[in-house]
Amino acid sequence: MGLRRVAAVVGLLQLVMALAMLLAGGVALLYRDGDAAGIFLSAAVTAAVGLILYKLHALKGDITPREGFAMVTFAWVASSILGALPFLLTGVEESVPRAMFEAMSGLTTTGATVFGDIESLPHGILFWRSLTHWLGGMGIIVLVIAVLPYLGVGGMQLFDAEVPGVTPERLQPRIAQTAKFLWLVYVGLTCTQILLYLFGGMGLFDAVNHAFATLATGGFSTRTASLAAFESPYLQYVTVVFMCLAAMNFSLHYRAAMGHFDYWRNQEWKFLMMVVLVSTGLVMAANLRAGDYAVTAAGLEEGFRDAVFQVTSIVSTTGFVSADYEHWIPGAQGVLFALFFVGGMAGSTGGGIKAVRVLLLLKATANEIRKHLHPKAVLLTRVGRTPVSEEVLANVVGFVLLYLLLLLAGTMALAFSGLDLLTALGACMAAVGNVGPGFGLVGATDNYGWMNAWQLSLLSFLMLAGRLEIYTVLVLFHRDTWKRRHSFR
Amino acid sequence: MRVLVVGAGEVGFHLARRLSEESQDVVLIEGDPERADFAAKQLDVMTVTGNGASLSVLESAGVHGARMLMAVTSRDEVNLVACMAAKRLGVQFAIARISSPEYYERGSVFSREQMGIDLMINPERECAWETFQLLQSAAATDVAHFAGGRVQLIGLQVREGAPVAGRTLSEMARIQGENRYVTAAVVRDGVTMIPRGDTRIEAGDRLYVLAPTAQVQGIPPLAGYDRFRLSRVMIAGGSAEGEFLAGGLAEHGVETTILDRNRRRCVELAERLPRALVLHGDATDLELLEMEGVSGIDGFVAATGHDETNVLSSLVAKSAGARKVVCLVHKFEYLRLVPRVGVDASVSPRMSAVNAILRYVRKGRVMTVASLAGIAAEAIEFRVEAGTPVAGKALKDLHFPPGGIVGTITRGSDIIIPRGEDVIRPGDEVIVFALPGAIPQVEELFA
Repeated sequence: MGLRRVAAVVGLLQLVMALAMLLAGGVALLYRDGDAAGIFLSAAVTAAVGLILYKLHALKGDITPREGFAMVTFAWVASSILGALPFLLTGVEESVPRAMFEAMSGLTTTGATVFGDIESLPHGILFWRSLTHWLGGMGIIVLVIAVLPYLGVGGMQLFDAEVPGVTPERLQPRIAQTAKFLWLVYVGLTCTQILLYLFGGMGLFDAVNHAFATLATGGFSTRTASLAAFESPYLQYVTVVFMCLAAMNFSLHYRAAMGHFDYWRNQEWKFLMMVVLVSTGLVMAANLRAGDYAVTAAGLEEGFRDAVFQVTSIVSTTGFVSADYEHWIPGAQGVLFALFFVGGMAGSTGGGIKAVRVLLLLKATANEIRKHLHPKAVLLTRVGRTPVSEEVLANVVGFVLLYLLLLLAGTMALAFSGLDLLTALGACMAAVGNVGPGFGLVGATDNYGWMNAWQLSLLSFLMLAGRLEIYTVLVLFHRDTWKRRHSFR
Repeated sequence: MRVLVVGAGEVGFHLARRLSEESQDVVLIEGDPERADFAAKQLDVMTVTGNGASLSVLESAGVHGARMLMAVTSRDEVNLVACMAAKRLGVQFAIARISSPEYYERGSVFSREQMGIDLMINPERECAWETFQLLQSAAATDVAHFAGGRVQLIGLQVREGAPVAGRTLSEMARIQGENRYVTAAVVRDGVTMIPRGDTRIEAGDRLYVLAPTAQVQGIPPLAGYDRFRLSRVMIAGGSAEGEFLAGGLAEHGVETTILDRNRRRCVELAERLPRALVLHGDATDLELLEMEGVSGIDGFVAATGHDETNVLSSLVAKSAGARKVVCLVHKFEYLRLVPRVGVDASVSPRMSAVNAILRYVRKGRVMTVASLAGIAAEAIEFRVEAGTPVAGKALKDLHFPPGGIVGTITRGSDIIIPRGEDVIRPGDEVIVFALPGAIPQVEELFA
């Protein structure tokens, strides 16, 4: 394994982080909250570390899958360590694990925060938080479109069967080009959302921050009350639409921008939209039945808005909050609970298991049942019209099992540390799925500030594992990864 | 008019026989001297031994001045080259028998037009289409379409105790009141005859009845069959014919099961037929067939590549209670044999190819020709031109040959079941049923 090549790539990415910090420092200067010096200092340290890593090692030769796994994981870890510097050096946070949790939460587009009073944070820091989301989202797009299919993680290769994207064999020459196009879509959508926010009367600072957090399906807000702080239904609907867009495969958006509207032809898209519609209906019906909303036009509108907002927020793994779902009746909460296990489309910035895997699993299960009726049947599982190979299917089943296993292990560990089961499970679901808010003591209106360093570190790890499709991180714990390459020379 | 037939296999042999019976000047080109010799002895045709794709062979067969070339060897490439060569040498129509989808329309490097081929016949696809027609009309042993599908010809066996059994045609017409169909031919003990009003129908006869498509479902009850709708079909054998058929059935919303004994072929079928249930198993495995509900199934088609397996599979399905069993056979000799052992109907890709080609041969005045298995008669559709002997005459004044009968007349949107006093007008489309010997006379009337 060429650790030197890995270090070079990680170093290069830290230079990007340093640039982003400079930007946040600029914002801090503008608002004069006194946090500019700390942020600029962080930028200098990050740039120095990045330069050293990059300059010391030459980036030559082809990248092996092992190095690919290591690069991706170390890139996120290093970015989180250095990304924590602005919190520490400006003094808004003194504990290293807490600052790292915040940075990891940002870069994995989770949106779980340790800060209880967001409004008291200086503008530079607030902007830095949103920026980590936005950068993390960019990283994820490249990762899921180009890198993970090449590494064959969790059946991700299946997704380019449906979407004309990058063929794994020709990753390197085309990765830059593909990434450029998709980032263009990403930036374009972000700008559109900012404009729509401004049109609805939101301030420029809030608009930019929330747009960053939406497109990355992050969930950091500039307000403690999240989107509930803005009482305009228009702003909430704009957020709903863009959370949906962010949960869709960005290749589809790119094709649409080129004039090919392929959404309807994509079965994963249809499945996700169906999940959103059905869930919204169920939540709304449950809430109406419980009498939480008046049966008037205004009450129904509010009931629909709250339902569709929470449903899209969780299914896209954004984690914005417009209503405290923990006060809803168990039926409505149950629907949201199930949505934690769906996630966005493959190729989106959303986390979770991913809609396509859930769809495949459901179809494979239906086939298994059918197989009991027709023991000799030869049944294929398809996404759209494309049959999925046994190998990919096994990969997907393995991924989902691992996902659930990780949840179970995390919940047990948190329970051992003294948390009640609902909180432990909720926190793990929110972390592995990169959602943000969970259930129990980390519910819709709570934060993670009360947890101890150990619990926060565990959740940081879960966020990282969930974001990088689990396998990417777990292979680094396998000893074969660290063996020397077999040499025939 | 000279017609060149390349390949004296079963398709070529049968084609040559049909065409020569209709007094066409047929030259048969065959590479195998023994086969050519056999054909020369059996048929009234000229035979040339050699490769049909070679210039010298084509020239010695008299390609110059020939009207038509039909390349019907079992090899697609030979057929393609023969057709392309013939077109270059001035043959008017070139027909190629093509089985590989790679050469068929969209899969091909060159389009059909670029290659100059007027008609490509895919025997497997034609056969699947014929099977589909047979399945759709439960009682029918044969089905053919005319007038763009508005008129149907069905062949069916009269059952014991059926309303028509023991009655003459004129008695039936009286009982029925209005004329809704024409009984065009009766096959009794293997002999085909064109019936008259006083012909008495007996149980066991096979009738060929022409009727407007909308009225066809009224015919099977007269021959003693229940009314029926095709909703479930099982195809034993994932041959090309089976796959085409399964695709067609699934498109029509019929619940389709297809089975094959080769696992890899099964996976292939499952990929191409998303709406059919694909099973891995043997066509003669009674246990499997019963488990998958063969008893009481609307249609069962034995479509493996082996005739003997198909016959056996058909019998297994019939004994297990399948309502309509169609057996795919490749050897012509079996076509007549199969209905005798209790299988409802039989189809053959080669016979289907012959039919498809014959249908095209006399394009122009003649629009559709159907030649049917187990009956020595053809149904021919003519468009009546002004100035021909038939135009403007009443049927009774026509001196129609005894081996022929006018079935239906399509005039604009009307379908007429003719009586003696009906007059044929220019522009009418007339379906005639004729024994081979009467075909030249019939053609003269319409020429």
